Amino acid sequence: MLLYALKRLVYVLPVAFGVSIVCFMLVHLAPGDPLTAIMPIDATAQQQAEMRAAYGFDKPLPVQYGLWLWKIFHGDLGSSIASGRPVASEVGRAVGNSLILASLATLIGFGFGAFFGFVAGYFRGSTLDRLASLVSILGVSVPHYWLGMVMVIVFSALLGWLPSTGAGPGGSTAWRPDWEHLRYIILPAITMSAIPMGIISRTVRALVADILSQEFVQALRAKGMGEWDVFKHVVRNAAPTALAVMGLQLGYLLGGSILIETVFAWPGTGFLLNTAIFQRDLPLLQGAILVLALFFVGLNLIVDVLQTTLDPRIQRG
Amino acid sequence: MSAIDAGAIVTVNPVRSEGYWSSVGRRLVRDPVAMLALALILLIVLAAIFAPYIAPADPFRGSMVRRLRPIGTPGYPLGTDELGRDLLSRLIYGGRLSLFMGVTPVLLAFMVGSSIGIFAAYVGGWVNTVVMRVIDVFFAFPSVLLAIALSGALGAGILNSIVSLTVVFVPQIARIAESVTTQTRNRDFVEAARISGARTLTIVRVHVLGNVLGPIFVYATSLISVSMILSSGLSFLGLGVKPPEPEWGLMLNTLRTAIYSQPLVAALPGAMIFITSISFNLFSDGLRGAMEVRQ
Amino acid sequence: MRRSFPKTAFVLAILPALHGAAWAQGTLRIGMTASDIPLTTGQADNGGEGMRFMGYTVYDALINWDLSSATKPSDLVPGLALSWGLDAADATKTKWLFKLRPGVKFHDGSAFTADSVVWNLDKLLKNDAPQFDQRQSAQGKSRIPAVAFYRAVDPMTLEIVTKSPDATLPYQIAWILMSSPANWEKQGKSWDNVAKAPSGTGPWKLASFVPRERAEMVPNPDYWDKLRVPKLDKLVLIPLPEPNARVAALRSGQVDWIEAPAPDAAKSLTGAGFKIVTNAYPHNWTWHLSRAEASPWNDIRVRKAANLAVDREGMKELLAGMMIPAEGFYPPGHQWFGKPTFKLEYKPEEAKKLMKEAGYTPEKPLVTKMLISPSGSGQMQPLPMNELVQQNLADIGIKVDFEVVEWNQLINIWRAGAKDPSSRGGTGMNYTYFIQDPFTGFMRHLQCNLVPPAGTNWGYYCDPEMDKLFDQVRTTFDPKDQTAILQKIHEKYVDEALFLMVTHDVNPRAMTAKVKGFVQAQNWFQDFSTITMDK
Repeated sequence: MLLYALKRLVYVLPVAFGVSIVCFMLVHLAPGDPLTAIMPIDATAQQQAEMRAAYGFDKPLPVQYGLWLWKIFHGDLGSSIASGRPVASEVGRAVGNSLILASLATLIGFGFGAFFGFVAGYFRGSTLDRLASLVSILGVSVPHYWLGMVMVIVFSALLGWLPSTGAGPGGSTAWRPDWEHLRYIILPAITMSAIPMGIISRTVRALVADILSQEFVQALRAKGMGEWDVFKHVVRNAAPTALAVMGLQLGYLLGGSILIETVFAWPGTGFLLNTAIFQRDLPLLQGAILVLALFFVGLNLIVDVLQTTLDPRIQRG
Repeated sequence: MSAIDAGAIVTVNPVRSEGYWSSVGRRLVRDPVAMLALALILLIVLAAIFAPYIAPADPFRGSMVRRLRPIGTPGYPLGTDELGRDLLSRLIYGGRLSLFMGVTPVLLAFMVGSSIGIFAAYVGGWVNTVVMRVIDVFFAFPSVLLAIALSGALGAGILNSIVSLTVVFVPQIARIAESVTTQTRNRDFVEAARISGARTLTIVRVHVLGNVLGPIFVYATSLISVSMILSSGLSFLGLGVKPPEPEWGLMLNTLRTAIYSQPLVAALPGAMIFITSISFNLFSDGLRGAMEVRQ
Repeated sequence: MRRSFPKTAFVLAILPALHGAAWAQGTLRIGMTASDIPLTTGQADNGGEGMRFMGYTVYDALINWDLSSATKPSDLVPGLALSWGLDAADATKTKWLFKLRPGVKFHDGSAFTADSVVWNLDKLLKNDAPQFDQRQSAQGKSRIPAVAFYRAVDPMTLEIVTKSPDATLPYQIAWILMSSPANWEKQGKSWDNVAKAPSGTGPWKLASFVPRERAEMVPNPDYWDKLRVPKLDKLVLIPLPEPNARVAALRSGQVDWIEAPAPDAAKSLTGAGFKIVTNAYPHNWTWHLSRAEASPWNDIRVRKAANLAVDREGMKELLAGMMIPAEGFYPPGHQWFGKPTFKLEYKPEEAKKLMKEAGYTPEKPLVTKMLISPSGSGQMQPLPMNELVQQNLADIGIKVDFEVVEWNQLINIWRAGAKDPSSRGGTGMNYTYFIQDPFTGFMRHLQCNLVPPAGTNWGYYCDPEMDKLFDQVRTTFDPKDQTAILQKIHEKYVDEALFLMVTHDVNPRAMTAKVKGFVQAQNWFQDFSTITMDK
């Protein structure tokens, strides 16, 4: 087991290295000068040159990459151009906020998704199956930013039940799991849960149907095994894969929530990225993408190892 | 949104009779949901193609005195937008860019990705390993993140948006192509062909391509819906189409400020993205179902 | 001094009694358009909005803006300097003396003196000074191009020498905010630390802030102008860059006040009991036209035709009435407006005639390219507004293609100039201008020697006659005479249709009915001291 985990880790390292190169190069694809955002509107050519030197943008690319990587190993992701604050702390705070939102969305999505998927798989071919499948396909097909807008129209603009933006009355630092704060997370979390719900319900449906169609289950049934035991058997066998998919979904939501966080002004990584893109804040963009991608790589690793542990049937080389 | 979709890959039936595709077609025709989806897709595509003949008004001309009219206004069946332009006409014209920008990246990625995947799998060895490691690097980015980061870095524009999404889909398709090709390659019938002295190229052309392109194609169709949502999402963020071009994502963005005054009108462009995306998904599901059924 | 002594003395006397009880007048939470809390160390970033909320609140300049009137354009008033003027003994007219306000203390308790001013100017201008701060310098340095030399004559007298005679120096000095040298020492000589615990002399003290989310300010009870000691308990700033998010936050009671509500939400806001306040201020929304060779805008007929083609009333409809149609480069009624003869009216037929003379018709249109941005500070609602102008111009035979670039990139192109490849052949750009003083209002756009890279004369306009007028402004120290020259300049701007002049913003803000006592000055900056909140 430990050996397997180590093997996976060794395999992950070059990927992480590649990720860092992609992150670094990504922001150098862009045309234009990254420092415009902070330069005063009337800055002279000399002032601009001074500033470029101060941020190290006057050096050749490989040197910049080397310096950047060296600093990262020392926990320094550089300073945001727009705000001057350390990128590490900016991203850290945003990741915390996104994690709260993404976890809740994943939980909601998993709950409903597993339920619909199970029903669909258990009663494959029935009307219930078609209904549940429809729900899952709605989940994966809906443009989530539009769903968010519709939620805001209905629950904030028309009904006035729930607030539509921000993390709570006191911002995210004062975030507590009480009603006053949970009110703010409801709309974005439900909107965001549509995607994992669709995907998890598809997965669970396929898993359940597959397990039920296995010959020995049918044989057991024929021998008179109770439905409850069949149910337990199905759950036990479907759980590892379903949970793995859920873990990966958390990673996707964490990095892929930019549109939803923008619609709801949720102060997470997506919102931070959007700001970074539009302010052309290169160090922040680099840092945020790197952290999210590495988080995702790490999550993949953990899910993979856990799944192998939980599910002895999976043999990996 | 995800590439890890348990049901997405079709299990291939290696031995196919001549009538395999026609039987797939027959099954597909008998699937009412898939047919309805196909009809909707055709309707939207045809509307986009023949937009100048069917749109009731010029999508670029508006008037301030009749801006943000509600649905059902005489002469403006779906109301007017923030510049007083006929929304129905803009939705019809909007399909052109939205479909183009949604479908093109998948087509490009299908061509590039399957070439890479098939090549890597067939050559095998260290070439395969290197290619697949590079692809793994791209898999380390959630697709939405990669798409937005790329087009954010490249800047707004139709071309940049298509390039970004193509880059997002190439690794996904390449990985599927690689795994399907590897499976097929090791199958008995290929071995048999090899032993019987068929040339490598012939093997690739007849057996490998014949058996792998189908599943990859089905997988690619399932990406169209994702691509539509993402490309309109980029325009929604201001990273795609430029005004005054009608495009559903951009229209949804510019109408956002009207959610308090004309909520239904404001939500319409998004509904179009939804309808198109779900039609592609249902059709893709139907296609997969039709190909999966064991004979 | 504009306020009489006895009144101040009276307020001083009753101050201790009032403090704590009657002054506990609530918390005001403001949704800003900026995406971050502006820089807190002194020279704020985020443009005019940053200075409004984090500049003139926590800090003072030597010369402040008078923000007490809603009915007349605001002018300069004494801030940390009691008086200023040319040294009568100096024949070169470059030496200025500033008499400083005695007894002023920074929030950290240290005293404000002429040395503090020198220290703060070094912070911006002297690259090798230990307190030099690149971030503040980037914001402040270009605001004071006239300053050549400065020194403390005595603790309460400052001397500034300009590079050449320049009557606009007071306007430049009004940009420069004074942070506490003692506090910088106390924070380990680190501006990053100062950012977390800044100290100025202003009416507000920064109590705390969370980057990108929230800043909280409390009154400075020891403020030197007792009439401007804030009445509120707390002022909270929340960045909400997305217009819809601001409206939603106001409606849900998350904030009490939002900057720049989306026009389409205005009606529903007033319907729901919120009030929307607007006022003119020195801002314009223009297309800055290129005058480089081969630019079609070198033909005055085309420039005039474009100005006659824009349906400004239609645009007013688009913006729910929240704009002032342009009659010139400055808003109508401004002291520098003068009497231009060319009237900016909506006359498409006349415009078509002019275009025909110039050789274009709607069937055979002039085709050209404009650079626009999808958003940006002061750009109002750039996308629909530009689309409307595009439609209007198409009607008279000017077919405009847009090159949409991100706001900061547009600024970059604006600096690079119309001849730079980054302008991509565009013959104009949609740019909104801060036009509060003669330099920012007129000179920087059209002075011959300010073409890129020396300055921001983006369109390479050069007219010796105009330059002569600019020189006169600089060397005319009598305010009345100076105004007369500025009027002449403005008349030339309008009569020669040097810009496509479209509209002026009215600085709309929406607030709950509980907000009381706010006077919206005709300025980019505002005074928050007078405000109270109803329970």
